[in-house]
Amino acid sequence: MGFLNELGRILIFVGKILKTIKSKSINCPDLSRQIYRVTIQAISITAFSGFFVGAIMSIQFNSQLKEFGALTVLGGLATSATLRELGPLLIAFMLSGKIGAYTSAELGTMRVTEQIDAMRCLGTDPIEHLVVPRFIAIVLSSFILLLVGLLSSIIGGAALGKIVGGLSAQEYFNAIPHFVTGWSIALGLFKCLSFGILLATVCTYKGYFTQGGARGVGRSVISTALITMVGIVVVDWFTSYLARSLEFLWTS
Amino acid sequence: MDELNSFETYFKDVLRRTLSPPWRKKEVVIQLDAIGVQSVPIILFSISFAAVVTIMEYAYHMKLVIQTANMVPGFAALLILRELGCVITALLLASKVGAGISAEIGLMRITEQIEALRLLQIDPIRLLVVPRVLATILSAMALTVLANGACVFFSMLMSISNLSYSMGTYFSAMNRFASFKDLILSLIKAAVFGFVIPIVSCYYGLSCEDGAQGVGRATTLAVVTNAISIIVLDFILTWLFSHLY
Repeated sequence: MGFLNELGRILIFVGKILKTIKSKSINCPDLSRQIYRVTIQAISITAFSGFFVGAIMSIQFNSQLKEFGALTVLGGLATSATLRELGPLLIAFMLSGKIGAYTSAELGTMRVTEQIDAMRCLGTDPIEHLVVPRFIAIVLSSFILLLVGLLSSIIGGAALGKIVGGLSAQEYFNAIPHFVTGWSIALGLFKCLSFGILLATVCTYKGYFTQGGARGVGRSVISTALITMVGIVVVDWFTSYLARSLEFLWTS
Repeated sequence: MDELNSFETYFKDVLRRTLSPPWRKKEVVIQLDAIGVQSVPIILFSISFAAVVTIMEYAYHMKLVIQTANMVPGFAALLILRELGCVITALLLASKVGAGISAEIGLMRITEQIEALRLLQIDPIRLLVVPRVLATILSAMALTVLANGACVFFSMLMSISNLSYSMGTYFSAMNRFASFKDLILSLIKAAVFGFVIPIVSCYYGLSCEDGAQGVGRATTLAVVTNAISIIVLDFILTWLFSHLY
């Protein structure tokens, strides 16, 4: 029951955010400042971890394909697997710590130091001025960040394909178009977008409704990190499932 | 540079005390419960979803490469044992346990409980950090075994229902590729991750600054640093192990 209650509260909160987005004009400088801040804050880490995710996949597939002498397909296979599945998953895990935990700590601190109540006393709507810019900014910039991460994972895969498998970059990239279809790219992008929406929802909700001083801030950061991770795995399954059914319908 | 230096001395302190008795066995047991036992449901839940996706994706890719789904169980088992089981477990632990540890110790720090311990001549590293390090190493290894088991089980269910395998054919296909060595290597990975998570989290907890903001920042930093170190360490270990497979 507790789970359903929580889910309902999250949905009501999202409904409020969407209503605010629809009815009020969005403060553009505020929004662009948030987007800039979130993106700059996390871009180096995302590119860095994306590189290593691609590299890991390249090593793994290399050791599997070597036995069959099928190294020429390494580039396509590793890139396709990274784009469709593990890349978005692992990079989103990374972002749930960097962006999600950060935002919920920030909003939570505002809440427990009564800054949000002060705003309300001054007649401004905290949802409009604090939550909505962050929500939109996180959705947009995590999408951008995941794209950057995926691109650098391709570079990481190619680098390790060269080092471990002895494939030249040319051979590696040549194999990519045979495997990576438009569907795969669309699926990867769709996953990135869904992870961004999930992340933005959970971290603004958890941060906005923090209670109980420094302990409460700690608690909401922990639950943000945890809920986003479990949510990411579930959304990952759901989008893969959806994409597979769609692809099946499309091709048959 | 300052942070690096103090991290170095902190790391040496922890290492020295972890390797030498006396260990506080009661604390270790409490932490084993808090870190290991209470993470079981969430890890099993997430890993089962990951297993299903892995099989779906592998089936898709194998159809592209060799036009059949013959090798799916073997390849999927390799990916699960070598990579997914321990990495997803470690990343979940990093956010659940790592954030928990750094928030808890950070709160102790800003409410001056650490100073109180020092006044009472109790070594905070021996009381707080070492039991968590030992408990996390053990629980990470145990949870990785569980996660690998659950992952293989759910991927088996998935192959039976979607790829028309039977239990016997699934395991024989898996047996052709995966070996016991893969499990041992994934346990080594888990132990390394389990060593890193509490050390990083306790460090950020102990250097937490005052106020709600300080706790928030310490927790965030702990989660991020843990996740990056896990991905980088995983890369290094995978590379090292790729010579052993």
